[in-house]
Formats: sequence, structure tokens, C-alpha cells
Amino acid sequence: MSYLQLKCIVNGDLVELDIEPSELLIDVLRDRLNLTGVKKGCKKGECGACTIIMNGDAVNSCLVPAARAQGAVIETIEGISKTGRLHPLQQCFIENGAIQCGYCTPGMIMSAKALLDKNPHPTKQEIREALAGNLCRCTGYVKIEKAVEQAAKIIFEITEGRGTSK
Amino acid sequence: MFQKYVFPRNVSAAVHLLNEHRGNARIMAGGTDLILDLQNGKYSTDCIVDITRIEELKQISEENGNIVIGAAVTHNQATKSFLVQQNAAALAQASAAVGSQQIRNISTIVGNVVSAQPAADSAVALFALDAQVRVVSADGLTVMPIENLYAGIGKSTIDSTLSLVTAVLIKKVEPGEGSAFVRLEQRKALTLPMLNTAVKISVKDQRIKEARIVMAPVGIGPVRATESEAFLKDKMPSEEVLQEAGRLAAENANPRDSLVRGSRNYRLAVLPVLVRRALEQAINNAEGGGF
Amino acid sequence: MIPENIIGKSISRVESAEKATGTAVFTADMKLPNMLFGKVLRSPYPHAKIVSIDTSKAEALPGVKAVVTYKNSPSVIFNTAARTAQQKINQVDDEVIFGKVVRYVGDEIAAVAATSEEIAAEALTLIEVNYEILPAVFDPLEAMKPDAPQLHDCKNGNNIATLIKLPMGDVEQGFAESETVIEQSFKVPVQKHCQLENHAAIAEVSHNGRITVWSPTQTPHTAKNLLAKIFGLPASKVRVLNPPYIGGGFGARIGFCGKTEPIAVLLAQKTGRPVLLSYDRKEDFIASDTRHSGYITVKLGAKKDGQLKALYINAVLNTGAYASYGPDVIAVLGTTNCSVYRVPNVLFEGSLVYTNTTTAAAMRGFGNPQGNYALECSMDILAEKLGLDPVELRLKNIIKPFDKWMLPYPCATSALEDCIQLGAKSIGWERRNEPKVPVNHKVRGIGMACGTHVSNAGPWAIQYDNAYLAVQQDGSVLVTVGITDMGQGSATALTQVAAEALGVPVEKVHVLAGDTDTSPHSLGSNASRTLYSAGLSIINAADKVKQQILDFCAGEFGVDSSELSIKNGIVSCKDPNKGQLKFEEVCDLANHKDLQFVAVGRNKLSNAPPWIAHFAEVEVDLETGEVEVLRFVAAHDSGKIINPTIVEGQIEGAVLQGVGYALSEQIVYNDKGQQAQDSFHEYYMPSIKDTPEIETIIVETEEPSGPFGAKGVGECAQVPVAGAIANAVANAIGDRINELPMNKERVLAAIMQKEK
Ligand code: FES
Ligand code: FES
Repeated sequence: MSYLQLKCIVNGDLVELDIEPSELLIDVLRDRLNLTGVKKGCKKGECGACTIIMNGDAVNSCLVPAARAQGAVIETIEGISKTGRLHPLQQCFIENGAIQCGYCTPGMIMSAKALLDKNPHPTKQEIREALAGNLCRCTGYVKIEKAVEQAAKIIFEITEGRGTSK
Repeated sequence: MFQKYVFPRNVSAAVHLLNEHRGNARIMAGGTDLILDLQNGKYSTDCIVDITRIEELKQISEENGNIVIGAAVTHNQATKSFLVQQNAAALAQASAAVGSQQIRNISTIVGNVVSAQPAADSAVALFALDAQVRVVSADGLTVMPIENLYAGIGKSTIDSTLSLVTAVLIKKVEPGEGSAFVRLEQRKALTLPMLNTAVKISVKDQRIKEARIVMAPVGIGPVRATESEAFLKDKMPSEEVLQEAGRLAAENANPRDSLVRGSRNYRLAVLPVLVRRALEQAINNAEGGGF
Repeated sequence: MIPENIIGKSISRVESAEKATGTAVFTADMKLPNMLFGKVLRSPYPHAKIVSIDTSKAEALPGVKAVVTYKNSPSVIFNTAARTAQQKINQVDDEVIFGKVVRYVGDEIAAVAATSEEIAAEALTLIEVNYEILPAVFDPLEAMKPDAPQLHDCKNGNNIATLIKLPMGDVEQGFAESETVIEQSFKVPVQKHCQLENHAAIAEVSHNGRITVWSPTQTPHTAKNLLAKIFGLPASKVRVLNPPYIGGGFGARIGFCGKTEPIAVLLAQKTGRPVLLSYDRKEDFIASDTRHSGYITVKLGAKKDGQLKALYINAVLNTGAYASYGPDVIAVLGTTNCSVYRVPNVLFEGSLVYTNTTTAAAMRGFGNPQGNYALECSMDILAEKLGLDPVELRLKNIIKPFDKWMLPYPCATSALEDCIQLGAKSIGWERRNEPKVPVNHKVRGIGMACGTHVSNAGPWAIQYDNAYLAVQQDGSVLVTVGITDMGQGSATALTQVAAEALGVPVEKVHVLAGDTDTSPHSLGSNASRTLYSAGLSIINAADKVKQQILDFCAGEFGVDSSELSIKNGIVSCKDPNKGQLKFEEVCDLANHKDLQFVAVGRNKLSNAPPWIAHFAEVEVDLETGEVEVLRFVAAHDSGKIINPTIVEGQIEGAVLQGVGYALSEQIVYNDKGQQAQDSFHEYYMPSIKDTPEIETIIVETEEPSGPFGAKGVGECAQVPVAGAIANAVANAIGDRINELPMNKERVLAAIMQKEK
């Protein structure tokens, strides 16, 4: 077995790691980097619990070979409140009661973040499209949708307050 | 699983790697199917040749009246591409129907074709759009119609240990041409279709000049509704005509009973509806889009 | 600081920050030093005898530390329901960890512990098993026939695990007195919980043989007792706890989580090392409990004016390979559905039948949704036959407080009438009779259904619960309870209950749930009982602690304790001149006199009916049979609401599970006896794009038996969903389907039938 030296940025930190070429990103994140906020609901791309953001796009980390993360910028749920302050999405999920068992939550929040990073004013349809790959069995999605709508507003207010938006 | 994972810089390097490994290396684009197939033992290989970093394969471009979609272009890239929306509405719609946002961010149009699953949404659209594929191997470049890629259910004529599809080519729309894709599904995301159908149509002087109607999963790979296509030639697209076209389409369909995706009888019963709806949308697209 | 009234406030969940940041720990997130990984070998056949099994090659694989089969594991026969059922229900013990006969595709044959999951998986392929294949049966009606293949020795008839008969009045007489009688049979499918976290357990055995198991079980005490029995240990030598988080339950984890706990323990005992056994999604689908499928017939008799005279319900439920909770489920199906309407003559008959399919057991609603679907469709059929409006027929017949019914506890509160009226108004019920004109081949329809459920597990099962409450030296409060929070929000609601009961701020209260070492016995989280029973236990403990405080302060103030009161965290005397003491001050004083205020509280053995009225508006594509739920209105009486946002969340989630049950979810078996749906990809639970607009209406009542007036809620909203949608579809297309799920295929068949 030849090892592969993986170099990538995970949650803002440079990570250098010897991996086996056939390892999956989900396993490297969970088992090697202890980022267990990356959840495993199916390992087949069918539930979204393992969603992370790779180079700006939401992806199922269970379908990505870790080797493909070479040089990539990766964000997981653990990284979006690194400064100690909750991300507006996290805040809105909490305040709206959008979290029940919480198993879908990290993936759900990462899908929503990938959306809002690119599209700060999503329509209801766009929110639903962005979250359709994240199954939740607890909430009926009602409060999740609300939380994302509210977070979009808050993010807009923050960025506008800073004058960085049009 | 595999012991090596490499990113060739260009197509010839990829081909070289395949040659070097003599059947023990395999091309991977998005890999959303392949990763699972490697886990469940459908395929095994020593070396993965990841083509997603080959710059030229990541582009959607225009070339001699064709839209060229590189082998590393993802479904989401295609869905959002203005070129694709304008010239291949059916492909834009089909690409948007695949799996989920996360999957569409990785999975590729070409991969969808090479996996050769009978109901692959974007492949069905490409069939209707009369797409060509570019195949590169040690023997050089060949261009062939997409039909030639299907060897059986889940089996492609492309051996990904020997060659790779570098791009699909779709002719740009001409005035009076339009296309559409319609899907019947049991959940609005994360599911394969019960049935899908794509149509390309060209209309002139209010008459249908030509229609290409493709349906799946009703046979090995996407299936052409030849009876229906012949019937539509030179017809005015009235409600009755489209209805009849739908009915005729079912004559080319041979769906199986599936405990997951519905019975043969049900699928035969609704296929005409789907085909009619796709035709209506395509005509609409021909009237509105493409200019 | 004076705490404000905390009951009825939507405070954020106590644990949600951990869950939102990814730091919340679930079972498979844990890593123990030296931990091994388990994997299970499962039967590929629906029914077979194991003739021989050779594990030597697997044992020889480097990295493999133990292989277990029936040959080297306990042969204690058990039932995962763990003898929590009361005697009147005939509970059956019929399972062992590994047997010599396998009875469904997925049944456990052997397990391996190895240094990695991959090695364990490889070892499974090296186990050689010779089977003698036995004939199999998959349908309960077939399985009941005398010549059907036999799964277990049953005294009630071939493959009949339990027969149950619940009469009230004289049903024959009731039908004779009726002027209109309708009868209809219905078929209901297998539904799967699909909690997002797969089943998993970690077991560790200490040097003195004490066992610790971390798992997402909903019932740690039940699991502990069961493990003690299987492994022949005193129950005090077994600890079961949540790690602490549970990724959903919905009934799938009552008792054991699949068989993860006993198998992990077995492997840990054999290897002396901690073992993590984590099922993958396919195992979760095929080898852990499902909802019961089956056949239900309803016969209703009424006077011309709609007054119900007689109700007969017959249920034949498929309990799969093992009985598990089946006997309790079928009893609940009967009693809940015989208790929605005021009918003087009632008979319920149920047969619980074994087949070679995955074991069916508890799932949200516990038999009630199956029966309710049949009952509520039948009510609409009756209304149509009588020429009455379905709302009117129901309002005429619903149970009112203190009506006679077959349950041993009273109906003390009901706001069902209000729920029906408000729901009807919100959905726009008057539009139901508008002519159905297709637009783009689509028609709309409106329907309703109502029902009731429970707030505790009695009288069917043991239902006592305990809470241990310890006031800390600084006046903060630790409460430990044996229930679990699997996501339903109990830890938060119970924090509110404890804060209110003691008059302390919520921030000073911590509720620890789900650990058998820290709490006395509890039946755990099921039967919509968590808040109701643990809440009552906490209030009882708080009352005891309050009395201790008053007695202590009586000494301090030099008065009789009856002169004192505790309010808003302050102990004060009737005589204002005596001054007052803050809660913290009292605790500090007590501490310096070598005293702590500690109590164990017990719930009353009571139960109470929540009430539900659901309304659906659907759109049906007449060409494809596709049904879309456009709007859903869920009106609920769950007594006093402790935390409105949590209650809404419970309702919304359960409604969507009901939408899936009604329209798309099912597991069916192919001719090899394999589950045709064993992944999310094939099992159509709704995504966010399939979610209708859901409106929740809450009508509060003050339930005298409940904690601060609360009743159960968790399961309620799943109960009438399928009935409401079925009635809406019937209203749209003018024909009924009588089988779930009402998928496109069935709906189109009904439409085509109608057109003929
Ligand atoms: S674990 Fe990756 S999508 Fe389910
Ligand atoms: S909160 Fe439990 S799955 Fe979404």
C-alpha cells in the first residue's frame, strides 16, 4: 500500500496527512481529524448527513475520495463558528426550533451555508432545492426552512451594515 | 480497493496512465456511481485516474456550431450554463433532476452516460438531442453517436480502463427547434425516475419537421419512440396529434415490473402522458427559446 | 432575580447549541481506548435451518479477535419488549441472540469483532454456513392457514402469536338496532422509522464483569434489565446509557436498537475489549423493527340521523419473524380506535401473526395510525351513505369528557370539538363540495380525520417512572430521570417543569436523562409519555423537596412549617416581620448544618387522552395518479403546552411522517423474501420538496392528571394523517383506494376504474 500525502485546508487550518488512496473523505474527517460533526447516515449519498463544503460547493463527503481533497478548501460544521460566535444559520436553527435530534443538523446547515454564500437572497424554491439532498425525519422541515430564511435576512443585515453589499 | 490515485494534467497523460496500467487503472470523473461500485465490488482497480482537474474537460464551450460539454462538467454546471439553457433545454432540465444539490455538484454529464444506467436523466436528454461523443484511447480520437455507447443495462461500450469520453457535442439550436425533459418520480429529490422522457423537435410553418423522442427506463438504455417520431413528421401539433404520438410511443416501450419503481402496466399507462407533455413543452420551447 | 412563569414559554432547547456546532456526541462518534469493531453476518434466506457453521477461517484472519454464533453465546430466550407488558397482554418470548433457525432475510447468524470495520467485514465472508432452506410465508392471511409453514409453535392457531378480543356492550345488538351499516376492509403497509442515526452500541466489560453499554436506546432501564437476563448478571451490574445524544427514535429503539446491545456485549465479553457495533443503513432497514403491516376491517352501524350504534374492528397484523411489541401494538390499535366515538356497542378482535419478514414492533402511534386510517375512511363512507357531512357526523359522535368508554381511566378533558371546528375553518371546509373541474388534468379535494392517543403506557404496560432531584449546595438543581431525549425535546420541557415546580430559574436546573446508573427505574421514552410521566415524577420530587425546605426553614424562623411558603425562589413567612430567605441562602444554611435537600419522586399511575383533528387539501393528477398535499392543518389538544415551539415541531415532523405513510412509504418483499426497499434511495420518505404547507393549531385544556395540565403529544400527529389524506383523495376523484400507500399507481388505477 502506497500512502498519499494529503494537503488541504480544513476549517482554515492547513492539514497534512498520510492517507491511503482509497480512503473516503468522510472517514478522514471523522476518524483522523475527529470532526465527528460530519455525520454518517447512509454512506451512499442518499441522506446528506455528511454534507461539507469543498471549494465552495456542498458535497456528500461519503462520495468523495479523500485524495480528491488534495489542495482543496474544506469547511465542516465545526469550522463555521470558529471565532466562538455562532454563525447566523446556527443561531437561527437554534432559535426557530429547527433542531430536534440534531443528526441531520450539521449537514443541513452546511447545505444552507453553501447556498447563502453564493445566493444571499434565495427564494423558497431555491432554499428547498438546496436542502432537498438533506433528509430530516424529525422536523417536517417547516422550521428548517424558516431558519434559513431568517438567517439570510440576518446575514444580509450584517453585511449591509458593514457596507460591503450593494 | 485501489492503491493509487492520480490526477493527470491532460487527456494524453490520462490515456498514457491507462496504457501503463494495462487494464488496472480506471478513469473517474465525478465518481458518485463509481465510488459505490468499487465498494460493492462491481468494479475493482489498482489505480484511479481522476480527470476532474484537466482544465479543458471542465469547460462548456462553443465549437463549429456545437456545444461542447467536457467530461468533467458537473450537472450543476450544465444546469446553470446559459449556453446549455439556450441550446439544450432538455439537458438543463434533466441535469437539474439528478439526485440532489450535493450530488449534482460532483456528478458529471459524461459520467452519467458512461455508467450506462437505463434511466440516467442527462443521458436520456442527450439521446434526444442527438449528441455525439468524443472518445480518446491509445488508438486516437473517435467521434460517435451517443447511441453507440450502450452495450446493455448498466454496461457501456466504453471500457474505462482503456479509453475515456472527453466530451459530448450537441448541435446548437436552429430557429424552430426546441427540446424538453419530463420526469415521473416518487419523491422530488434523491431518487431515480419511474419514467423519464426527453424530446427534441423542430417546427417549420406550423408543422413538425422532425421529432426525436427518447424514453427510459423502458429497455436497455434510453429508447427511441420511432413509431411516434414517424407519425409526427409533417403533422400540425394539435392536441389529438400529440395524444396519438404519446400512444404510439408506448409501442416501443418494454418496461419491467419493479417493486421500487412501479409496475410495467402502470408505466405503460402513463408513458403516453409523459411523452405528450414533453412534446407540448418542447414545442413551447421551440416557439420561445433558441434565439 | 425573580423567575418568571416558565410554563408555556418557547425557550430554546437546552442542547441545541451542541447540536448546531457539531460537538454533540452520538454513539458512533465515541472512541474508547483499544476499541474493536463489530459486524454481523445475516441470513440471505427468509427461512432456513443452520445445518453447520464453520468459523475457523474467519478466526484465522489477522485482526479478528472473536467470532460468535449460537454455539458460543447465551441461549436465553427473550422478547425485546422486555416484559414491560402487563399480564392481560399475552407476551411471547421467542428470540435468542443467535439461533439455529433463521426466520427472515437479515436474521442474525454470527458476529465478528476485529481491529477495524473492514477486517470484520472481510471476516464475515470467510464464515461458512450450510443451510437447509425451509418454506417461507410473507402474508399474515396466508400464514394463518393451517398448512402454512410454521415459524413458531403457537397455541392460538398456526403462526398466531396473540389473539385479542375487547368487547363493550353487545355489538350484535348494536348492528341490529342500526338503520345503516357499512363494512370495509383496508390494507396497510410496512413503514420504517428512518431515524437519521443508524442503530449502534458500544459495550465495555470491566475486570469485575460489570457491563457498560452506550447506545441510543429510548429505554435504558428496559435494555439494562434485558441484558442482565440474557447474560445472567444482576441488573445492578449492568449500566446502559445514552452517549448522550440520540439521532431520532420514533419507536425503533424501544428495548434494544436492533440487536446491537446484546451482540456488542457478547463480543466485549469474549475479547475483553470495548466493541463498537454500528449497523449500516441497509441493516437498519432490514434488521430492525418496522411498523406493523396488515389488514383491518371496520364495520359501523348508525341510526339515520348519524348516531353511532355499533362498531366492530378486526385487525390482522403482520408481526414478522418475532413477536416483540406486537401484542401490545395490537391492543393499542383496538383500544384507541374504539375510543374516538361514543358508541355503546363495540367489539375489537385482533390477530397477531408471524411471517418470514423483518420483525414489526413499535413505531410512532403504536398501532393507532393503522386502525385510525381504517376507522376514519369508514366514517367518511358512512357519512356519504347517510348523506351527512363528514364533519357533522363526527361532531355528533365524538367522545365528550367522562363519557363511558372501554378504557379504565377517564376522559377528563377534550377539546376535540374545537379542534374540528377550527381546523375546518382554516382549511376552508365549505369548498369541499364545490364541483370538481380539472385544471390541467388536476383536481383538488379536501378531507379530514380525527383521533385520540395516550399520554402513558398503562393499562397495557408497566407505567411507573421516577425522578431523582438533588438541590445543590448553591441552590441549583440537578434532576435525573430514566427517560431519554431522542430529539423530541423532553430534556428542555422537563427543565421547564422542574424550574416551575421549585420556583427556580431554568438556567439553574439541569436535567440528566438516559443513564441507568443515575436514575431509578423508568419505562423510558415511548407511548407519548415522557413529559407526562417524568414530569409528574419531577413535580412529585419537587413537592417533597419543598416540604424538606419548609421543615428546615420552620426551624430557622422558629415557626410552624405551615406558616411558610416558597415562591419565586424565596422562602417567606406569613408574618412579614420574620423576614425571608432566598433559595440559595437556605441551601447554604442547610449545607452548613450537614443537610441536603434530596428526593425521589414517583408519577401517579394515570393516563389521559390527547385529541387530534387533521385536515388535508390535495391535488390529484388525473393522468398520472400523482397526489400532492397542498396544505395540511393539524389541530391538537395536548392539554397545557409547556413549550409551544417544541410541540409544534413534534406535530410538524409527525405530520410529514404521516404524509409519507399515506402516499409513498412502504417496504415490500420480492419472491425471494428480500426487502425490496433497503435504502433511502428506494424508500420514499419525504424530502423538503415534498413537504406541504403545514399549519398547527393548538387548543389548550387543563388535564387534571397531567404535569401542569399537560398531556401526550409525541405520537399524536402521526395518527390521523393518512385518513385525512385518503378522505381528501376520495373527495377529489370520487372513489376510494382502501390501501396504503396511495401511490401514483394505485390512485391511477382507481381513477381508471371510475372512468369505466
Ligand atoms: S452519509 Fe453521506 S449522504 Fe448519507
Ligand atoms: S432533526 Fe432529527 S433528523 Fe433532522
